[in-house]
Amino acid sequence: MQRKLSALTIVGPAIAAAGLLAAPLQPLAMERTVHIAGFGAKSGVVRSFGVNTEAVMLAAAKHINESGGVKLGDGTTGKIKVSFYDDRCNAEEGISVLRRIATTEALVAVGPTCSNVAEPLFGILQKKVGDDKDTGLQFPVFTDTAIKGGLAKISEWAFRNVPNEMEMYRQMFKWIKAQNPDLKTVFGGVEEDFAHSRFTWYKVMKTRSGDAGYEVLGEAKWLLADTNFTTQVRKMRKAKADVVAISAHPFTTCGVLKEMQRQRVKPKLLVGLTSSSSLETLQGCAKQAEGIIIPTSFAPVTPAAKMAAEAAAKLGGSADLHSAAAWEIVNILKGVIEGQKVMAKADTLKADRRKIRDGLANLKTTGGLLGKIQRTDEGEAVKPYVYVHAKAGEWAVLHNPIK
Amino acid sequence: MEDFLFDLIDLVQSIADGLLFGTTYAMIGIGFTLIFGVMDKLNMSYAAAAIAGAYSSIAILAVVPAPAPVAFFIAAIAAGLFGYVIYLLCFRFIPLASPLATLMATVGMLLLIDEIIVHETDGMPQPYPALFDDVMVEFGPFGLRGDLMFVFAVSVVSMAVLLYLIYRTRLGIATRAVSQQPVAAQLCGIGLERTNAMTFVITGVLGGIAGAMIGAAVGVLSPLLSIPFTVKGLIVTVIGGLGSIPGAIIAGLLVGAFENTFQFLRGVTERDMYVMLLLFVFLFLRPGGIFSPPDGRD
Repeated sequence: MQRKLSALTIVGPAIAAAGLLAAPLQPLAMERTVHIAGFGAKSGVVRSFGVNTEAVMLAAAKHINESGGVKLGDGTTGKIKVSFYDDRCNAEEGISVLRRIATTEALVAVGPTCSNVAEPLFGILQKKVGDDKDTGLQFPVFTDTAIKGGLAKISEWAFRNVPNEMEMYRQMFKWIKAQNPDLKTVFGGVEEDFAHSRFTWYKVMKTRSGDAGYEVLGEAKWLLADTNFTTQVRKMRKAKADVVAISAHPFTTCGVLKEMQRQRVKPKLLVGLTSSSSLETLQGCAKQAEGIIIPTSFAPVTPAAKMAAEAAAKLGGSADLHSAAAWEIVNILKGVIEGQKVMAKADTLKADRRKIRDGLANLKTTGGLLGKIQRTDEGEAVKPYVYVHAKAGEWAVLHNPIK
Repeated sequence: MEDFLFDLIDLVQSIADGLLFGTTYAMIGIGFTLIFGVMDKLNMSYAAAAIAGAYSSIAILAVVPAPAPVAFFIAAIAAGLFGYVIYLLCFRFIPLASPLATLMATVGMLLLIDEIIVHETDGMPQPYPALFDDVMVEFGPFGLRGDLMFVFAVSVVSMAVLLYLIYRTRLGIATRAVSQQPVAAQLCGIGLERTNAMTFVITGVLGGIAGAMIGAAVGVLSPLLSIPFTVKGLIVTVIGGLGSIPGAIIAGLLVGAFENTFQFLRGVTERDMYVMLLLFVFLFLRPGGIFSPPDGRD
């Protein structure tokens, strides 16, 4: 009896302890991890883009995981795990980072930040799916930030959720013309050595303002790291245009706006580059930027957008035109993973990546923070947008074409 | 005729703007040249440390608000300290006999300083206090920026103080002695390491003032500033003559004016090409720079 008792005393608690340990393991066994990689600039002067994208991706993943996770092909629940890599806004680094990501368990990569990285990076992907002669990387890439027009058509493995600047500026210049019929002329300012700014002035703002009936009087040019804008602003002053459109990033946008103030260049209207509708511009020159109008595909104007902005802020990031796209991407990926019955197992990795690519290619519309997003056959997005303007040190919605 | 007159006015205005802004290049050039003169080594992290000094001043001002002149003063002190730290890390304990060792150490330091700034600010431009930034002094069709005139004045005073220090004080005599004959200077009882360290601190202070003036002239600080100012500083040093302070001053103004003139005449995309061409012309025709020291002196 005594021996039986002592055996029970030893074995009993051991069984109970094992049971207790096994209990939390049971649901864990039913769960799998869905690896999503993010990559972008987390060092160098565009670090804030990478920091914000990472925070937004983590916030979106957290939100999905807390709401029940992702339903995988065999009914198992998947929890999203985001790993973020730094490409330093450098093409070679970006390519090397993507090759590294492709060796991990990641099903898809979200990035990059810079168009000068995206363009060559899409070039190393397989151009046509199923082309056995093409040894390019077979890995789906979904871009949130690199905005230069028409890049996704480089490869069938490349997709983007970036705003369509052509459409945004076309509509915005038309709207400005309708609101201010007395404004007749436009003068441009362009950061010549940055792919996005250059493309947006020459191919977007200049042509779209012309289409809207404005006479384009010319343009002043400067470089990304320039510090002295006296010559350019004098040219601007001479032109005496009604509208000045600045296609430059916050650092030089602020430099030019300050110089315009000094030389008393006061156009009736200021238009800015999409990327300048950020906190950086307000930090650098809120006073001089007052009134500048910019089209953007993100503003916290819907409950979903407000929630995304708050969730990102809790993780130390800021949801803006670029980073908010990452929130949408993670949610789109959730839908694709569920719809394509992705397994997220080590032995189905290659097939899962292909399923995600096919799922993304088949999308015609997706949900977005401001409303429905249309998907094109070339892997691009046509996103809803609003016009914001700098008002009392903040970005405020000036007009919402969705309404 | 009217167009020609307008263009002429614009050209003169561009040259004037370039000359005013060129003082910041001159100050960075002096830092490079002084260190080269004393140690026969280039400190590639000099401009980055100067900008870091300016960043330090806004970091302190974020905690203790103070007017712009206090920010400029803090920038100078902070950059002086950075100068000493750079001396310790990149020169003091690194074999000076190997010319590449210190060069690469300072290149590493330049990248390190830049990346620290990027990580602390997420690369975002930070507003920098300026004086007279809304003042425009006008003479008929010409106008001179008040803040650039202030930058010019501060730079001129700083350079005058530096020249006084170099030519009229015991420290200056020691610095020049070490620069010209280090062995003889040591035999005369001049501490080589102490003099070198003091040179780094003094040039650091000057760099801090330059960094603050660059911030004041631009209106914002950005990590984008370090590399262009390093390049401009080196060009100024070579054109002025390695080791020549008056040369650095003249070359700084020359590069500023040249840059603006060609920006006006040929546009921004060709501007730097012409500055490089100027450098090439000097290297080819007068490799010792404007104020090259007489041959065979030492």
